[in-house]
Amino acid sequence: MNNKWLEKNTFHHSDFRDLNRLVEEKTKKDLTISLCLPTLNEEKTIAKEIIIMKSELMTRYSLIDEIVVIDSGSSDRTRDIAREYGANVYKATDILPHLEQFKGKGENLWKALYITNGDIIIYLDADIKNIHHRFAYGLLGPLLLYDDIKFVKAFYDRPIAIGTKKMRPTGGGRVTELVIRPLFSLFFPELTQLIQPLSGEYAGFREIFERIPFPIGYGVETSMNMDIYDKWGLDVIAQVDLDRRIHRNQDTKALGRMAFVILKTFINRKVRLGLIDLKHDLFDEMIQYNLVNDQYESDIFKIEGHERPPIIDIPEYRKKFNIDQAQTPEFQEA
Amino acid sequence: MNNFLVQLPDLVNQIKSMREIIITNIVLIGQTPAPTFREKRRSQLFMERLAEFQVDEVTTDGYRNPIGIIRGNDASKPPIFVLAHMDTFHEKNQPLNYTIKKNTITGAGLLDNSLGVGVISSLPVIFKKLDITFESDIVLAGTIQSIGKGNLRGVRHLLKTWPTPIRGGICVEGVDLGRLNYYSDGMIRGEIGCTISDESNRLSEYTPNAIIILNEVINEIMNLKLSQRPRSRIVIGRINGGANHGKLAPEANLGFEIRSDSYKVVKSLYGEIKDIVEGIGHRYEADINLKTISNLRASRLKHNHPLVKQAAAVLNVLNIKPVTKPTESALSIFLSRKIPAVTLGITYGENRYKENATMEIEPMYQGIAQVIGVLKAIDSGVCDEQ
Repeated sequence: MNNKWLEKNTFHHSDFRDLNRLVEEKTKKDLTISLCLPTLNEEKTIAKEIIIMKSELMTRYSLIDEIVVIDSGSSDRTRDIAREYGANVYKATDILPHLEQFKGKGENLWKALYITNGDIIIYLDADIKNIHHRFAYGLLGPLLLYDDIKFVKAFYDRPIAIGTKKMRPTGGGRVTELVIRPLFSLFFPELTQLIQPLSGEYAGFREIFERIPFPIGYGVETSMNMDIYDKWGLDVIAQVDLDRRIHRNQDTKALGRMAFVILKTFINRKVRLGLIDLKHDLFDEMIQYNLVNDQYESDIFKIEGHERPPIIDIPEYRKKFNIDQAQTPEFQEA
Repeated sequence: MNNFLVQLPDLVNQIKSMREIIITNIVLIGQTPAPTFREKRRSQLFMERLAEFQVDEVTTDGYRNPIGIIRGNDASKPPIFVLAHMDTFHEKNQPLNYTIKKNTITGAGLLDNSLGVGVISSLPVIFKKLDITFESDIVLAGTIQSIGKGNLRGVRHLLKTWPTPIRGGICVEGVDLGRLNYYSDGMIRGEIGCTISDESNRLSEYTPNAIIILNEVINEIMNLKLSQRPRSRIVIGRINGGANHGKLAPEANLGFEIRSDSYKVVKSLYGEIKDIVEGIGHRYEADINLKTISNLRASRLKHNHPLVKQAAAVLNVLNIKPVTKPTESALSIFLSRKIPAVTLGITYGENRYKENATMEIEPMYQGIAQVIGVLKAIDSGVCDEQ
């Protein structure tokens, strides 16, 4: 396998720090841009993300046209704070309420497609402690300056905040290195060129996102990579080094559950693509054990792995965006 | 000026309409560590922000204090300085992640003085949006090496080497809104170090303990007679030493500050502490030394100086109750160079020196309006009449 893609389609955020140029390109191409922040109990970080993005990329430079928060039902003041600082805030359950309700990041991202109006959508996790507007303009840069690129993923040097004082220089992306990279190496070696395929920050054209299914939970990034690669090839994808991202650390058990969902998503995609056959359906329970009073007690998490269809297939979406049933997609599949 | 005074309350809401830019500046600057002597990264960011806001000239002085100059309309008028110190007490590698809530911002170093630096870096965009202009050049300076062992070196150098007369100055501190400092005490900060050498351990009948020795020093300092007039006091502010619970302390350090409105008294008290240290050093055969960390001469504006009166009027019109106390900040360097200046606070806050230093957001807009009001007062000539 050669690394041509890695060399050609990998950028650094500083390549795009000339914001006037990005605004110029956006205006020239007559594009609108939406920023979506999926949330669940993010009262400590949400205000900072909104304020910095609004200040730098809406007030000072007209790069982003709207900031939308899609909330999974936070029990803290996330929605209240986000509203106070001027974001458009929605509860996921209030969007397309007649559909069966699910809870998860993927669900929020999918529903954001219905709520937002931008030609380009930027998705940023809402728990980034060291948020900076480079997280958004870094992702936008390749989309605005390179006509072939339709989807951009972030990668980082990822320190993890442990306690208040210490910071490990590396160590994020354990699920990437232990689960997804071995899988990609085995089945899709080209995709190993994605430095952090599970990063939660990415941006792309609506015409891409609306044509792919969205798993409702952790599997959304895995499936997104695989589906975009399968439909349009690697050349529509770029990745951008956003330097450092400080986020919450997760314990091994939580990462185990994340790995379970990702494995399930991956295997289901393989089956759907006709690359493997399963003798029976996959189970949907992740079983972990705790030692309590010298007894082993199981912790069972039911993770069914629901998936939303491409939103372009939803009548309400087609109506909102005036998409004719017979309309030929502008962006042809590979 | 009186016309502008009347308009000041209306400015508060207009400033509030720029809250995202102001808060972003505070947070981006505050999250960039700047321990004393290692302010380079924050200085660069400060200059980047000023340049992005199209300040006429952005540069550093010969001591690497970052400054931005907004050109005034009358080249014959001397410049007015607005100054905030760049350095904080926090270590460089400590993650500085600020939290913004509905009414507050929290983060290490915020109140002393990331908030002040964030506010002065926002002034250019505020002036522009509110169409506020000045006759004088406005020099926005983030001074380095201010606190602790920095001993206000940055501001000392900046003012000493500035090539033209200076019309007046405002020192911006994060807290508390309402402070109106226009005089500074004479002050010496010192550190007493005590080390027990291995040789002392071998030769003494009783092994000395550095903490106990410093305790003797403290007891003798407490016996010093402090005058009521001139007002004077000694603060024992910091102590550390020892290795663990069961071991005699091989070394210990004591930090203290002497303050008085007479620098002569400060020097005299320092001399007495020096005698105490020498005496105890002989008595215990310990290696004990005294060194000066920083010092300031007492200096003041009169309470009826037009700048003080006009600054109080600005605070009053904004419904801010002025509180006057001495300060040991950069103000004293202005005053010692005969440059009229005041120190103002921006908002209310708590946990000033802790990691969870927290500021209130809403009063900040009054605090900024107050800075603009005092700037306008200086620009109208209140410092020119003396």
